[in-house]
Amino acid sequence: MNKMSRRSFLSIAATTAAATLYSPFWKRGLYSLSNANEPRYFEREFGISEKLCEKVLAKALSNGGDFADLYFEHTVSNWIGLEDGKVNRAYSNISLGVGIRTVKGEQVGYGFTQDLNEKSMLEAAVTAATISNFTGKKPEIRYSWVQTKNYYPLKTLLTEIPIESRLPLVQGVNDRCFSLSPSVVKVNAGFSDEQKRIFIISSEGIKAEDLQPRNFLYANVVLEKNGKRERASWNIGGRRDFSFYTDEVVSEVARTAVERAKILFEAIQPPAGEMPVVLGPGVTGVLLHEAIGHGMEADFNRKKISTYSSLLGKKVAEPFVTIVDDGTIPGLAGSINVDDEGTPGQKTILVHRGILTSYMHDKISARHYKVNPTGNGRRESYQHYVLPRMRNTYMEVGPETPGDIIKSVKRGIYVQDVSNGQVRIGEGDFAFYVSQGRMIEEGKLTAPIKDINIMGNGPKMLMNISMVGNDLEMTKGGGGMCGKGGQGVPCAFGQPTCLVKTMTVGGVKNA
Amino acid sequence: MKEEMLNLADWVTKTARASGADDSRVTINSERFIEISYRERKPENIREASTRGLNLEIYVTGRYSSQSTSDLRKESLKKFITNALTTTKLLAEDPYRSLPDPKYYEGREKFNLELTDPEYLNFSVENRHNLVKTIEEACLSRGGERVISVSAMTYDTHLSLVQMTSNGFEGSSESTVYYAGASLTARDEGNRRPSGSESAMSVKRKDLPHPELIGQEAARRALEMLGAKKIKTEKMPVIIENRIVPRILSGFISAMFGRNIQQRQSFLAEKKGQKVTSESLTLIDDPFLKSGLSSRLFDSDGLPAKKRVLIEEGILKEFYIDWYYSRKLNCEPTTGSPSNLIIHEGKRSLEEIMKDIGRGILITGFIGGNSNSTTGDMSIGIFGKLFENGEFVQPVAEMNIADNHLIFWKKLVEIANDTWIYSDWRTPSLVFQDVIVSGE
Repeated sequence: MNKMSRRSFLSIAATTAAATLYSPFWKRGLYSLSNANEPRYFEREFGISEKLCEKVLAKALSNGGDFADLYFEHTVSNWIGLEDGKVNRAYSNISLGVGIRTVKGEQVGYGFTQDLNEKSMLEAAVTAATISNFTGKKPEIRYSWVQTKNYYPLKTLLTEIPIESRLPLVQGVNDRCFSLSPSVVKVNAGFSDEQKRIFIISSEGIKAEDLQPRNFLYANVVLEKNGKRERASWNIGGRRDFSFYTDEVVSEVARTAVERAKILFEAIQPPAGEMPVVLGPGVTGVLLHEAIGHGMEADFNRKKISTYSSLLGKKVAEPFVTIVDDGTIPGLAGSINVDDEGTPGQKTILVHRGILTSYMHDKISARHYKVNPTGNGRRESYQHYVLPRMRNTYMEVGPETPGDIIKSVKRGIYVQDVSNGQVRIGEGDFAFYVSQGRMIEEGKLTAPIKDINIMGNGPKMLMNISMVGNDLEMTKGGGGMCGKGGQGVPCAFGQPTCLVKTMTVGGVKNA
Repeated sequence: MKEEMLNLADWVTKTARASGADDSRVTINSERFIEISYRERKPENIREASTRGLNLEIYVTGRYSSQSTSDLRKESLKKFITNALTTTKLLAEDPYRSLPDPKYYEGREKFNLELTDPEYLNFSVENRHNLVKTIEEACLSRGGERVISVSAMTYDTHLSLVQMTSNGFEGSSESTVYYAGASLTARDEGNRRPSGSESAMSVKRKDLPHPELIGQEAARRALEMLGAKKIKTEKMPVIIENRIVPRILSGFISAMFGRNIQQRQSFLAEKKGQKVTSESLTLIDDPFLKSGLSSRLFDSDGLPAKKRVLIEEGILKEFYIDWYYSRKLNCEPTTGSPSNLIIHEGKRSLEEIMKDIGRGILITGFIGGNSNSTTGDMSIGIFGKLFENGEFVQPVAEMNIADNHLIFWKKLVEIANDTWIYSDWRTPSLVFQDVIVSGE
C-alpha cells in the first residue's frame, strides 16, 4: 500500500540479522558434509512425510481452489561485526516454519506456523482455505521430484565454518583499510551469511528442495581530510562457498571502499536539469532493475497497473538492446536452483533486440497469461506469499567501446556507483541515487560528483538508450536486497556502459 | 500470556547464568495478526498467523553477542543458550559492553498509555471483510470511469513483549495496531497509469478515519496526478505535505544517533546547542502520547522513557544515545531510538498558506533519493501539484530536489496546522522557500 515500502531497492543491508557460527540448534549432532547435502532434509530432521503433507494439502483445499502448496523453510543466519578495530559483536537468527497457500484464480489464502506438527499445520491450512467457499474434493496426487541444476555448489556448509575462520576476514578488511590511507578514521566491517533450506510440495504433484546459501564481506569506511568527512562502503559476496573469500577478496573490499571515499573529497553536486547520462558498467544495473524490471513483473501487468501492460510484443527499445533476467548465473545473489513454487531456475529474455517478449511470471500470472511460469515466483520467507520477483537482471553487450560512448557526450553525467532506487509502476517514473560519478565535458570525464538523484521514466528511458558498450559487468555484491510488497529478496544485476540521451539530474543549482 | 512469557524469561535468565553468562537480557515477543486485501470486489489475499520469538543478549568475560530463535521449547533453548555462550566467548573483548547500571532503570512512569484496543477481541473476521469492502467501494466509486485497478487492505495485530535482565530489570508491554489503506491506478494518456494511495494506522479502531474517507482519498490522490508532467527547473517555495514529512526528516534524524556520532558519520555531531534549522522548528520526542503508535514506558536498554525536546526553535538540544554508545562517547545516555516524534504545528491552514506564497509546488510524494548522514547531502525525487496564489495549476512528476540538510532546514519558513495523526511521526505540512526543483 505504502509507496515507500512497496518497492525500494536497498543496496547494502550491512546490518543484516545473522547467526550461529555453528550448526542449527535442532541438528542432532553435526552432519558430515555428504550427509548434509543428502536430499529430504525436512523428512530426516523434522519427520515431514509425504503422507502428512497430503493431509495438510487436503485441508487447504477443503473449500475448493485451483491448487495448494506447502513451503517449509529452515534458515540459519550469522553475522560478525567489527567496530573500532575489533570483531566484538555477533548476531544470529534461526527461522523455522511452514507457509500454506491456497490459490483460487488470482486469490490467495495464506497461513503459516512456526510449529512443524500436524495440529498446527492443519490449523494454518484452515486459514489458507478461507479464500475459497465451495466444498473441495480430496486431491488424488502422485508426487515427483523436480529435477534441478546446482548454480551454487558448496564444498562446505557455511554453518560448518567455525568462527575462528571467519574472524581473520573481517579483521583483515579493517587492517587493510587503515593501511591504505592515513585519512581513514573509522572502519566498520563484517561478514554475513545465511543458509536457507526449503522444501516445496504442491497439490499439483510437485516436490522440490534446495539449499540456498548467501553471504558477503563488507567494509564501511569514514575518511577525514582538512576537517571534512566522507564515507563509502563496498561488499562482495553472493551465493558462495566459503573458499570464495580469499585474501584477494579481502583486499578488494577494503581497497574499493577506501578509494570510493577518497575521491568524494573532490566531488561536487552537479548542476540540475536534463542532460545525457552515461551509465558505467556493473552497479548501474540498478537502473535496469527499477526503470524496467519491476514494470515487467507479471502481477503488475495482469492487474494492468504497469506502464508496460499494453506493450507485450511491441518495440520498446532500439534493436541493439536486449534485457535478460537470469536465475542461472553461478554464485550470484539472485540465482536460484528452484523458485519458491518449485519451478526450476532459468533464464528469461524480457526484451529481445528492442521487442518486449516476456514478463516475469509466478504460477498465478502464468495461468492468467496461459504461459509457463518463468521461475520468478519468490518470497522472503515462509511467512510470506509468492510474488513475481527479479533474479539477476542485466542488459546484454552492444557494439560500442566505453571510450567511444563517453567521447560522444558534450556535456553530461557519468554514473559510476548507485546506492538505491525506486519506481512508480503505473507511471513508469523512477529515481536512482548516484553515490559516485563524474561530469562529462567535451567528451572527457572531469570533476567527480556525488549524492545526486537521477529521475526518469522507464519506457521513455528505454527508447532513449542510444549506445550500448561491449563491457558487461555483473555486480559481485551479496548484500543487495530488492523490496516489494514489504518483502525483501536477494538479487543482482549487471550492465555494460550505455548512453541514455536525456534524464533529469537533481542537482543543487540551475544548469 | 504475560505471566507465561515472564516465567520463561526468568527461566532463560537463570539458565544463562547457570551456564556461565555474566549477564543477559532476554526479550520475548508474541504476535497475532490478520491481513485481508480486496481487488475486483473479492478477497485477493487473506493471511493470518501467530508468531513468537526470543532474543537473548549475552555478556560474558567482557564479550557480547545477540541471538534469536522462534523455538521456545526449553529443551531447544538449553542448546541455544550453550551455543550462544560458546560463540560469544570467541569474540574480542569490548570494554564498553555492559548492562546499564541498575540505578538507570529507576524512575519508570506508571501511566496508562492505552496501547491496546479494548474492542480488539470483538473485531470479527466479518467486521474486517466489511471494513475492506467499504474502503474498496468508496475508492471505486470516487475513481469512476478512470479506474484501472483498486486494491484495499486491512491489517491488524496484537503484540505482547516482555524484557528481563539479569541485573534486575523487568518490563512488559501489550499493544494493538490497526492499518487500513487503499490504492488506485487510473487511466491516463498513452501508457501512463498514475496511482494514488492512502493509508492510516492507529492503536484503537475507533481512531482510524472512516473507511469511506480512506477509499475516497486514495482515489482523489490518483486522479489529481492525471496528466502530470515535469516543468522547467525553477527556484521556488515548496510545501512538503504532512504525511510525507517523515521521509525527509528521517535523513536529518539519522545524524542524531549515538552510533553515527561516535563513528564520525554524523553531520550534527558538533552542533549541539547550535542553530541547525530555522526558528520555526520545534521537534519533540514524546513516549507518553495516549494511544500513540510508539508510546512506551521503557526503551530497549530498559531506561525509563522521558519526553524530550530534540530541537527547540531551531536549536539542537539532544541526541539519541543508547547505553552502549553513551559509554563509548563518555556521556549520559538519553534513549537509543525515537518514540513518537512530534513537530509543533503552526497556526494557519495549508490553503491559507498556499494563497499567500504565490507560485510553488505542494509535494505529495517522494521517489527514490537518499541522504548522507556524514555530510548532510541529500537528493530526492518528488511529485505533486504546482499552484499559483492558492489555485491549482497542474500536477508535476519526474522532478527532484537536492540540498544539504544544514542549509535546507534553514529554508523552513512556516508550518501548517494540519498534523497527520495516523503515524508515530506526527508531522504537519512544512513550507520551505527558495528551493531548486529540477526538471526540464
